[in-house]
Amino acid sequence: MGRIVGGFATSHVLFPPTGVEAQAGRVLDGMMEMRARIQALKPDLVVLAGSDHLNNFSLAMQVTLAVGVADTFTTLGDGGAPSVTFRGHRPFAEGFVRHAGRRDFDLVQAEELRPDHGMAIPRLVIDPENVLPIVPLYINCNMPAPPSPGRCYRLGGVLKEFVETGRPAGERVVVVGTGGLSHWLCLPEQGKVAAEFDLDFIDRMVGGRSEELAALSAEHIETASGNGGLELTAWLFMAGAVPKARGEKLYYEPIPEWISGMGGVSLTPIDVAG
Amino acid sequence: MTAAPYRVHKLIQDLMRDPARAAAFAQDPEPTFNAFGLAEPEKALLRDGSPGALHALGVHPNLQMKYARLRAKPPPAGAAPGGGGPLAAYLDRLTRA
Repeated sequence: MGRIVGGFATSHVLFPPTGVEAQAGRVLDGMMEMRARIQALKPDLVVLAGSDHLNNFSLAMQVTLAVGVADTFTTLGDGGAPSVTFRGHRPFAEGFVRHAGRRDFDLVQAEELRPDHGMAIPRLVIDPENVLPIVPLYINCNMPAPPSPGRCYRLGGVLKEFVETGRPAGERVVVVGTGGLSHWLCLPEQGKVAAEFDLDFIDRMVGGRSEELAALSAEHIETASGNGGLELTAWLFMAGAVPKARGEKLYYEPIPEWISGMGGVSLTPIDVAG
Repeated sequence: MTAAPYRVHKLIQDLMRDPARAAAFAQDPEPTFNAFGLAEPEKALLRDGSPGALHALGVHPNLQMKYARLRAKPPPAGAAPGGGGPLAAYLDRLTRA
């Protein structure tokens, strides 16, 4: 059986540090700490969960949950992240989709993807040498009918089951959720940051209480943390893959100039923590 | 926010995937507005193009950002490149193994 050896989550944007140099520095330090911890775990592959920003999926065909199954992906080059080609992991990705189907999750298999900044910036954080296979898992919370937080959390549990029953012995998998925290994109409230909500979300997640967060409705999260805050469903997917795990806040900075609450966490699976 | 009619979203999505059509739109949007069968109030809000107008029309937030780029005139030939993008200050650490 394989094992999920670590769960992480992080915001997936960076903006120029002008005027917020200290905060930007702490955000980057937090991301670099996440890199160090992931590299120390020596994963064989990473499952990277997050949303597309209507660059690959569109309102013409509103896909909410999808897995990139291709052998390679070339990032879009938006958001300041250079366009890079990285390896996927077809056997893992296709196997997960089949396993999820047996657990009542019908996931879309995506062959043609140009992962945008939501995946590209975290990938740059995780794997600067570009050596790890990365399976992109799309939780498109920006679709008009987004998947519920509970469903995303349960899908994480299905991933854990797949890794433990369907993958080779000794395989080490890290799961990373990306996006958030609170932000109101292209809405009148843009620039508002719900720091209290963000910190409560982080505290509960690193305190082993992610199930409570998964019980929140999408409407509640959107009202409390903005349309961009719904990207926290990717954090919940990650948390579902390491149930009851505790961990640490790696960074949190409310940065209205970046229209976002910026944060990251590290969770240690309970079978790894002992 | 009530969502914009799909024809508005389709206009933005289709232009994103068609550079030639997008270039023509940047020069003169009216033929494109007509081709997608937009109503006059929809055209007026898209001509305005401000965040408030696009929000009032109900344009999807991600598509609002793309619409702004579609409306931007290309820089004049020979113009100096911009400031290196939003990650410029971080790329050294991000790309250093």
